Amino acid sequence: MSPEFPYLPDEGVVVVQRGPEPGGVGGAYRAFGETLRGLKTTFARIIEGPVTIQYPEEKTPVYPRFRGRHKLHKFEDTGLEKCVGCSLCAAACPADCIRVVAAENDPDDRVSAGERYAEVYEINLARCIFCGYCEVACPFDAITMGHEYELADYNREDLVFTKEMLLAEPVERTPLRREGE
Amino acid sequence: MTNGEEITLVVDGVEVRAQAGMMLVDAAKHGDVEIPVFCYEPKLGQPVGACRMCLVEIEGIPKLQTACSTPVRDGMVVYTQTDRVQEAQNAVVEFLLVNHPLDCPVCDKGGECPLQDISMGWGPGKSRVIDPKRHFQKPIPLSPLIKIDRERCILCYRCVRFSQEVAEDEQLQLLERGASTFVGTFDDRPYIAPFHGNIIELCPVGALTSDAYRFRARPWDIEDAGTVCTLCPSQCNIKLTVRDERIQRVLARDNFEVDDGWLCDKGRFGYQMIESPDRITEPMIRQGGTLVPVSWEQALEAAAAGLRDAGERTAAVVGGPSSNEEGYLTQRIVRGPLGSPHVVSTYDDAVDRELLLELSRPQLAASVADIDRAESVLVLGTDPMHSMPIIDLRIRKVVRRNGTRLAVATDRPTSIDGVAEETARYSPGAMSAFVEALAAETGAEVYDRAEGELGADAERIAGILRPGSTVIVWAGEPSLAVADLAAQLDAKLLEIPAGANGRGLREVGCTPVAGPGLSETSTGLSPTDLCEALTEGDVEVAFLVNADPVRDAPNGPGWNEALQKAKFVLAISMFEDGSTKHADVVFPAESYTEKEGTVTHPDGRLQRVRPGVPHPGNARPMWEVLAELAGLLGDETGIDSAGEALAAIAQDVPFYARITEGEIGGLGVRWQEREAARNFPLAPGARPERSSVVVPTSHVGTTGGVPGASPAPASDQLQIGTYRDLWAAEVTDRSPALRFLRPTQTLELSPADAERLGLNGTPEVDVRQNGTSLRARVAIRERIRPGTAFLVDGLGDGAGALARHAVEVSAAEGGE
Ligand code: SF4
Ligand code: SF4
Ligand code: SF4
Ligand code: SF4
Ligand code: FES
Repeated sequence: MSPEFPYLPDEGVVVVQRGPEPGGVGGAYRAFGETLRGLKTTFARIIEGPVTIQYPEEKTPVYPRFRGRHKLHKFEDTGLEKCVGCSLCAAACPADCIRVVAAENDPDDRVSAGERYAEVYEINLARCIFCGYCEVACPFDAITMGHEYELADYNREDLVFTKEMLLAEPVERTPLRREGE
Repeated sequence: MTNGEEITLVVDGVEVRAQAGMMLVDAAKHGDVEIPVFCYEPKLGQPVGACRMCLVEIEGIPKLQTACSTPVRDGMVVYTQTDRVQEAQNAVVEFLLVNHPLDCPVCDKGGECPLQDISMGWGPGKSRVIDPKRHFQKPIPLSPLIKIDRERCILCYRCVRFSQEVAEDEQLQLLERGASTFVGTFDDRPYIAPFHGNIIELCPVGALTSDAYRFRARPWDIEDAGTVCTLCPSQCNIKLTVRDERIQRVLARDNFEVDDGWLCDKGRFGYQMIESPDRITEPMIRQGGTLVPVSWEQALEAAAAGLRDAGERTAAVVGGPSSNEEGYLTQRIVRGPLGSPHVVSTYDDAVDRELLLELSRPQLAASVADIDRAESVLVLGTDPMHSMPIIDLRIRKVVRRNGTRLAVATDRPTSIDGVAEETARYSPGAMSAFVEALAAETGAEVYDRAEGELGADAERIAGILRPGSTVIVWAGEPSLAVADLAAQLDAKLLEIPAGANGRGLREVGCTPVAGPGLSETSTGLSPTDLCEALTEGDVEVAFLVNADPVRDAPNGPGWNEALQKAKFVLAISMFEDGSTKHADVVFPAESYTEKEGTVTHPDGRLQRVRPGVPHPGNARPMWEVLAELAGLLGDETGIDSAGEALAAIAQDVPFYARITEGEIGGLGVRWQEREAARNFPLAPGARPERSSVVVPTSHVGTTGGVPGASPAPASDQLQIGTYRDLWAAEVTDRSPALRFLRPTQTLELSPADAERLGLNGTPEVDVRQNGTSLRARVAIRERIRPGTAFLVDGLGDGAGALARHAVEVSAAEGGE
């Protein structure tokens, strides 16, 4: 059965909506008036000046509780690592991206304050979801979330941060939002 | 403990069915109610009720009761969650934590700690204690393998009970009293005992930690892999803790029928051998005097060529740790395409086929658990401590808990002499004579009753043995008298073979007197003759499968020469050792943590060895390599998996018929208990022709085999016996943790002989016989039979060759 053409609705069909007929005063208003109304906003913002941030030359400051790349900490007085390699962060991590291999401290040449220390401490930042559970789990505040978020790299392997990298004072590349800002 | 009667009790409103006499904690589990415990551990024997963690309320009893030591009764109504119980539980936990340090993050037990779990589940949740806790120096070594942290100890007594009542070494004590109590040894001496590693697993807190495992991993970092330890015939069931594809520790995998849940330290710490960097990981061929790594194709080609050339002048030596599959395929290669009958799996000459059948018959076989049910046990010709350590614990247990009567008849004093009711000593090499006298004493008429000392000894021992309820644990010289003794007493036999899988290897055909399934076959050379034939050149090629005869055979130096003279030696070995030194082609062997296959326990239980870690380097599954080798030699086995290798065994060994890996499962199955046991080649009741059993000459000692009647050795001579020390093994040398246990050669003699030979106070002696000489330290032992002395075998100094010889002993020349 070939469809009928042109299509002519039969009597049972009710047309419920029709556009206004073009032309006339109403037509002219619709063509220009509404456009001008929109442009009002545009011109108003022009006066305010641009808000675009010229990243990476300029950066938005982050809040103090922003969860960026992790940091491991040392005691300021003794210089010993706070981390004792207890693996609690690894247990808490939902992305399973922390690897801790602990070892026994040599009492004459301590790495950490406790009996054990982390011989290997690695976070795979390619898998991390920045949930901050590791920070919550740590009984010694040895690991905290920093503010660094510029973590792109060319190699996945380079995103596995080792203990040395996490302990090193990060180059502060991210401005921190000041109080009340 | 339980008498099997079913009763009903109510726990927290739930009706629970249990057996009368069961402890309430166990019965409550049937109703899914968990009652927290610290000190309760049924493996340690009767509960002691030391920790009070398990308090519950029982209707009709005004005070709270300890569920771990209250046997259930019919109609008992128990509440485990009432306010009174909770208050008590909170209080117990609070008291335990009064002195417990907040060490969890640095504590090795964290994550698998019952104290953590119970504090979370049943504790008050917060501490009110502000007073200082007690302090100890921590952690300090309790032994070279274990560190103790006394601050963490909750004084549950478990470790002390193990030492006092299970291993009975009695070294571990609770010292001081009251709040100052602590666990230690007398005078802080190191706790050195062969089973002491078990206390690490028993300790419910992190007070006792393994030095080798300390801080290696958390429970969430690891995977468990079950397998069987093949370092000795006990074949204990073990669980490997694996992290990053490396074994970190070995734990017991409870199997009441095999190991009762214990391990010896060899099995617990010996895994370090498997991790050793000295492992052979590559097939190698000798080129210009040195072994160089080659591809598998080249190595297999070279091996096949060497074997093909020799044909029937080939002999295979299959070592104790080999699996049934490896043994089966080896004998199939040697008997099949090569057409040689020479396959051995032990270095003792002994048996002909009839005797072997008689001693292996299923009706006579004791299971390990039969020891628990027996009224009397006879230990004959071996010290289980050295030959099958777990049996030592089992015998101690039944003597202590069941009042089983124990008799020990050996040449050398044993470690269970102390718990035995009667002991008898015979001269090295005189075991058969003793067994005959004993059989005569129990009523076997074919033997003459012995006179004098021998007769008196036999009478004393026979007086202990209960007809119908005796297990004879034996090793050493096989003779028909052993079977006759068992038949006379209606006793059951448990033979301890020399190799870990000695029984399995024998049953799949690795013996010169019988083929697979102990079937008839053309007889090959016995080990001693084989060694000679290799030296003489009558046999040209040696095929060593996980075997190191230079170390393990009593005549080590003889084998050294034999292998050197051999035209071609193919060795499958984990390490370069005295035997691979002569090898032309070497294949890397698998350990029991990498292997897939089956082994047979001395009581006939088939068990599965399962891979837990990957093969090192280029090593490959050995069943696969052997099947390929068979193919190259013209025997297309069609075996493509370990399961198919087992199927081939099941086909050829009638009494293993249709056995599968699935049927063996995690706990193993005894072939004597399967339908197929009916296929055993010896009909029940059939007796071998007596005249066909010849006592092999190598077993008749210089005393003429009769103790007491022996010509007294010349006044400056001693009759030597040897024994294989538990620690005289490769695993001791290759595991750093165990190295301190390596024995030094020691001559043990009686005080009377020391006096007679003027050796009191002499630290070292030279032992001389017929031109050979070796140096040994002197140990004077009370319970040694005068005129006899003992040396350690398996140290590679040829002491084994002195066994049953009279030697001269003199103070070491050249001083200290
Ligand atoms: S932030 Fe979350 S996902 Fe990332 S390492 Fe920590 S716990 Fe793991
Ligand atoms: S960072 Fe904290 S939680 Fe993670 S291992 Fe170190 S101490 Fe333990
Ligand atoms: S050391 Fe461990 S097993 Fe021994 S008493 Fe203390 S807590 Fe119990
Ligand atoms: S007794 Fe033998 S099988 Fe058991 S753990 Fe020790 S070495 Fe292994
Ligand atoms: S478990 Fe019952 S008192 Fe310790």
